[in-house]
Amino acid sequence: MTKISIFYNLFEKPTTLLIIPSQDYNQIISEIPRQLSNKKICYITLNKTYNALKETFNEHPEINTENIVIIDAITKSIGKVENKEDCYFITSPQALTELSIVISEFLNYEIDYVILDSLTTLLIYQKAEEPVIKFLSNIVHKIKTSGAKGIFYVINIKDHKLLIEESSMIMDNILNLEEEKIEWS
Amino acid sequence: MKIIMVVDDNEDLGRIVKRILDKEGYETIIALNGDECFNKLKEVKPDLILLDIMMPGTPVVELTQKIQDIKIAYLSAVKISQSDKENMMQQKNIIDFISKPFEREELIAKIKELVGD
Repeated sequence: MTKISIFYNLFEKPTTLLIIPSQDYNQIISEIPRQLSNKKICYITLNKTYNALKETFNEHPEINTENIVIIDAITKSIGKVENKEDCYFITSPQALTELSIVISEFLNYEIDYVILDSLTTLLIYQKAEEPVIKFLSNIVHKIKTSGAKGIFYVINIKDHKLLIEESSMIMDNILNLEEEKIEWS
Repeated sequence: MKIIMVVDDNEDLGRIVKRILDKEGYETIIALNGDECFNKLKEVKPDLILLDIMMPGTPVVELTQKIQDIKIAYLSAVKISQSDKENMMQQKNIIDFISKPFEREELIAKIKELVGD
């Protein structure tokens, strides 16, 4: 599959589980917002702080950070938080109810895409797949109802077989970049 | 003998770090979460705590607020910025930040730097 058709599948389907090889992860987290620079994005970060994510985005001038609002589940769990206009800080990645409520609120503001980075991190905190799948099902429903689209990152697939199987029943699209062998440069 | 407590929910990592540090002549204690860490601190006062930043249970910010008299170095796979690091290390006993994954030699050199032989 070509890079263009991958992005077509990724951006046109309402919800996609994007399985990312770990070696491509850093490339992907900047490539996708770059491709969506004219869209309003709600980016949920579960493994990078707001400041670290902004630094990453700012390294790529093509990424329109003015169109991105962030839900940061990390910073508040490790230290003090300064309020930001473009970010909501939730208590921790374990706070799935809080996260779900905040996503609902953000979806009221004409968001085009919700990006969740990543389900892999959610599993570290939750230990079991069941709460993550329940959360995922809930979020997918909210995203579809709002008319937005959702992209859910997951890495290291051999550890997440059940999650991927269950997700395939929830998501409209499963895209495994491990099988696509894309040249990113 | 210097005592190092490793607080990490990844049991395998804890065991590996213990094996490395024991060989270097440190006494290494493992705790799998914040609660276990507190319980063990009632019985022993380590020279250094290696504290994983991403664990289920009590958020690390709550743990570190309760531990003010023991040196702490964070272990983390979370990507944080320099300003975040400076913010986190405002508490005077939080002395370092070790990024995962780390190499054996890197860990040993860091522990020697932080607590001595």
